[in-house]
This record gives sequence, structure tokens and C-alpha cells, in this order.
Amino acid sequence: MNSLRTRFFKDKANGKVMGVCAGIADYTGIDVLWVRVAALVMLSATSGTAFMLYLAIGILAQDKPKELYADRQEQQFWQGVRQSPSRTAREVRASFRDIDRRLAAVEAYYVSSNPRLAEEIEKLR
Amino acid sequence: MEDIVVPLIAIPTVFIGLPWLIFHYVTKWKTAPALTHSDEALLEELYQLARRLDERMDTVERLVAAEHPQFHPAVPLPNREVDNQPLHEIAETLNRRRDQRR
Repeated sequence: MNSLRTRFFKDKANGKVMGVCAGIADYTGIDVLWVRVAALVMLSATSGTAFMLYLAIGILAQDKPKELYADRQEQQFWQGVRQSPSRTAREVRASFRDIDRRLAAVEAYYVSSNPRLAEEIEKLR
Repeated sequence: MEDIVVPLIAIPTVFIGLPWLIFHYVTKWKTAPALTHSDEALLEELYQLARRLDERMDTVERLVAAEHPQFHPAVPLPNREVDNQPLHEIAETLNRRRDQRR
């Protein structure tokens, strides 16, 4: 049901032991250091359960495909989608509005000041 | 007295309260609107389109500004993190390669 972008992967390439913490960090966008600290605290607090959970995830989860995201920006975008799809949709809309505004400025410049006509008149003088 | 009261509270809590709590959140989670496959593909496409258009807009603004010095782009936003990030990544890659060569 869930596809490549919203599935959980372990990240063996950036991981220390099995890459589960790195995978969680990649999935949520939380810094990997804090995930590891939380994992260690859990490990000492819940004797055995957290370790078993870690092992289970490490064995069952697939390793992250190498070229899942083209760059850092895309990775952050999908982290945002996993946190809140509606917020990222609004962000995409905001970027479209931004482009619209900039295009309107270029259009307004050409329509109102008509630089090409001014150039032609300048040549005829 | 305690021999009767403690099981009387503990047993319903464990066997009725706990499953209730779990199933309550399971149903809540299942009815929550999930991102479907097509939604995700649409979002991906829109995101890539927005990025491409943004880059094209940069080029157009630069071209117009080069031809007509009196033109000022609508949003003169220097040093935006979104624009700088690819440059940082390129710098990082270059540094790494330089280190490898040594």
C-alpha cells in the first residue's frame, strides 16, 4: 500500500550498528544524534524489550535504496510530507504563487515600460 | 478486604480498559485520511514542477536584468537557504574529492 516515499527504510550506509537509528532519523527528519541518544536511554530503561524491538526492525526493514532522493532538498521535502502532507501541499502552493508573482513582475515590466519600443525610438533618433 | 478490591479493579482495567484504549486509537488511526498512491505521485510531480519553474524563473529574471539594467526582479531575496543548499552540496563534494586525492 505505501510506496517508496513513505515507507520506512533502515539506512545501513549511514548507520552505526544496523542503521535503524539512521533510518528513523531519515524518516522523521530528527537529527540522528538525538535518535541514538533516545535509543540508548530506551535500551537502559526497558531491559531487553527495546533491544528486541531494535533487532526486529533491523532484520525486517528493507535497506534504503541508494538513489532514493536526488538531493538534500528533496529529502527534506519528503520528510515534511511524512510529518504533515497538508502542510507540504500548502508549501508547494506557496512556491507556485511565488513564481506567479515573479512572472507577473517580468510581464508588468514589459507591458508598462515597453523597453523594446523605447530601444527602437532610441535607434531612430 | 484488599484481596477482593485489588483484583476487582485490576482485572477490568487490564482486560477491558487496555484493549479499549488500544482499539480506540487503532480505529482513529485507520479513519485518519492517508496519503494514497496517486496523491503521492501528484505531490511529487507538483514539487518537481515547482522547482523547475523556479529555476526557469531565475534564468528569465537574470536574462531580463542583463538586457535592461533598470529592471529589478520582484523578489530580490539574496542568500536564500533553498538556493544556497545545492551550492553547499557541490562545495562539500569538491572538498571530499580533494581530500581523496591527497
